[in-house]
Amino acid sequence: MFARLVGESFIRNPRRKILTAAALIVGMAVATATLTVALDAGDRLAREFRSLGANLLVRLQSDTLPVEIGGVDYRPVDEGAYLQEADLGKLKMIFWRHNILGFTPFLDVPAVLDSTPSIETTLIGTWYEHDVPVPDGTQFRTGLKATHPSWKITGKWFADGAKECVVGADLAAQRPELIQIGKTIEIGSSTNSQVKTSLLVTGIVSTGGAEDHSVVVPLSVAQNLSNHPGRLRQLFVSALTKPADALSIRDPESLTPTEYDRWFCSPYISSISYQISQAIPGVDVRAIRRVADTEGRILSRISTLLWIVTLAALGAAALAVAATSATTVLERRAEVGVMKALGARNAIVSGIFLAEQLMLAVAGGAVGYVLGIALARALGKSVFGIPGSPRMILFPVVLGLAALVAILGSLFPLRRTAHFDPAAILRGE
Amino acid sequence: MFGRLLLQLLRGSRGRLAVALIAIVSGAAVISALLNLDLDVGSKLTQEFRTLGANVVIAPRQPQGSAQRKTDVAAAPGAPGLMDENAVVEQLKTVKTAQIVASPYLYVIARAEKTPVVLAGTWLDEAQRLSPAWKIEGNRIDSRDDPGHALVGRDVARELHLKPGGGIALDYMGRTAKLAVAGIVDSGDAEDNQVFVNLRVAQKLSNLNRQIGLVQLNVGGGSKNVADAAAKLAAALPEYDVHLIRQVTATEGALLGRLQLMIFSMVALILVLSSLCVLATMAALAIERREDVGLMKALGGSISRVVGLFLAEVGVLGAVGGAIGCIAGMPLTRWMGHRVFEATISMRWEIIPLTIALMVAVALAGASPLRMLGKVKPAAIFRGE
Repeated sequence: MFARLVGESFIRNPRRKILTAAALIVGMAVATATLTVALDAGDRLAREFRSLGANLLVRLQSDTLPVEIGGVDYRPVDEGAYLQEADLGKLKMIFWRHNILGFTPFLDVPAVLDSTPSIETTLIGTWYEHDVPVPDGTQFRTGLKATHPSWKITGKWFADGAKECVVGADLAAQRPELIQIGKTIEIGSSTNSQVKTSLLVTGIVSTGGAEDHSVVVPLSVAQNLSNHPGRLRQLFVSALTKPADALSIRDPESLTPTEYDRWFCSPYISSISYQISQAIPGVDVRAIRRVADTEGRILSRISTLLWIVTLAALGAAALAVAATSATTVLERRAEVGVMKALGARNAIVSGIFLAEQLMLAVAGGAVGYVLGIALARALGKSVFGIPGSPRMILFPVVLGLAALVAILGSLFPLRRTAHFDPAAILRGE
Repeated sequence: MFGRLLLQLLRGSRGRLAVALIAIVSGAAVISALLNLDLDVGSKLTQEFRTLGANVVIAPRQPQGSAQRKTDVAAAPGAPGLMDENAVVEQLKTVKTAQIVASPYLYVIARAEKTPVVLAGTWLDEAQRLSPAWKIEGNRIDSRDDPGHALVGRDVARELHLKPGGGIALDYMGRTAKLAVAGIVDSGDAEDNQVFVNLRVAQKLSNLNRQIGLVQLNVGGGSKNVADAAAKLAAALPEYDVHLIRQVTATEGALLGRLQLMIFSMVALILVLSSLCVLATMAALAIERREDVGLMKALGGSISRVVGLFLAEVGVLGAVGGAIGCIAGMPLTRWMGHRVFEATISMRWEIIPLTIALMVAVALAGASPLRMLGKVKPAAIFRGE
């Protein structure tokens, strides 16, 4: 009897259900979309920050004091200690290897550009796109493309390992007749005038930094010119990290075993640098404070903001569903009057309404979830440029939410039906 | 007559309208708070981006260093790679606003106990404001006229076994300077290898009076402000190279754009949901009021007049709800400001008319079911159909 009453109500008067169903669908679509975007946003924004460049710097502990002005190391090449290029693959073997988005080695060599008069400059040996062998047998492609996306190039980058180079914009402007894309320039070591090499200019780079006055070359060219094969001076690492909190700033030595595990298994900048220093013995890994601090603070601020905005949207969705549910109950006073006149108790009347609402909530929630995924894709695409990926975990969450707001919304008007006087209602008052 | 009818209608279905009013008030409160936040998010985030350091650099056409790169070669004032301090500082003053932090730098490679170190002469008070991310162990230096103190980079301190309170002796071409170490700087960057002193000390040591090698600026207020300030400086100092540190401004701009887009889409969604609430209420009202409408029509009221009456009712609802929502939005704005930025967000008055207008529009959009009333036939209604 109960089931038939509920069923009949759907079949006989579907128009009445449209409003509640529509509200449920729209409300839950919005809930799904905002939750999907909010869950994705932290990761997306963290990636946005990686366009700032590296946030970790790796050097050898035994290295002498760098004499660096404006990003150019003025130490003689024979001085200080060098990292081994062969060690770099180990970076992709640490616990948080997937958070290492890229790394780029640097080897600066003071050099002389052959021309009249000759120009003193710096050769910056690095990678643009280089396949690094990882000890587990795979290859990891990394270089400037991953860690220094803000460097602007006219022309194209050098091919890895080729006798090619990219010249800084300011240096190129000094000798426009000599340095042109497609021409070959002669570069010599400034310490040993015998060592010379000719490089094809493939592009002009502008960075706003010291590179504008330098020549950027494949790492192997700089290694050969300075006679340091397989070596590099420093390594910039770009890692996806979690904003610092109370645990991350503590000294790992002072942590209890459980805290240590939690610290080790969180992608804090401190735990990632610790893991790198474990992977490559003898190195000094430090967070580039300027980048790491800014990133951490802004990200935690933004994620608070996002959750507030998401909660606001969820609240509005809940209110919309509750309001329509309330309306449908009041709309059907006459029906309630008939049921009561025929002897139905308040509990039965409420039960019928709640069962209807629940069925609507499940159906509306499911349709809303599907629409919400489409909405999330559009929203993710316009906000972050990448469509948000659907999350199955949200499906039960959204269904539960739909049921909760649909029932809460009808409870208040249902309480009022208890006071309905069937006689008055049936008279049409 | 119109006014009296309106009042009666509003009073007649108080309960029903309350639901719509709640929807409008809460929608308006959230929207006014979000719009406020949206307008402020730019300036607040710019504050945070300060810690990234300089975003504009004034440098000579040729980099400093070629002359000073070897400790044994003295540079002459006016050599390439140097700028005239007076000329640059004079121009800096003309563009200087509260949003700009700027400091000149002169780099020389001096020796400390035979070890070559990079000595950076600067205005220490401004330099520390330019790099808020520095962790300084010991004391800061608060005056650019202090000739006796230095800040030492962490690697230099380790190499030379320096501690805050200790002393460092610097040597450049036979000229020497003895300084007390005020603090140790930890930046994670190239600054870890440098010794920071006030500009005058470095100029005296290197005998480069009134010469500087570089000016770093941090311009706040968003990427447009930065570009404007850089353009102004470039026009004022044509002999030097003024350039933006692109990665900082680009990231800031991109992040801000995404965030604002995000807030706007949420505002739009909330507006849709609010109008849905109104729609639900109005649909119920329309059915409930069929008899009223029948009576009005029977007494000779035209359809447009009847519908106009109901729309006016909804409009009043939207305006009142919007106004109450704005008032409720004020503490919400303040709370959000504290939660998100740990700062007070000032209420902007231009938001209030905007929110009210939006809410009236939303209410009217939600009132579309009222058009059904136009089809009501008085005779049928009174027969009780």
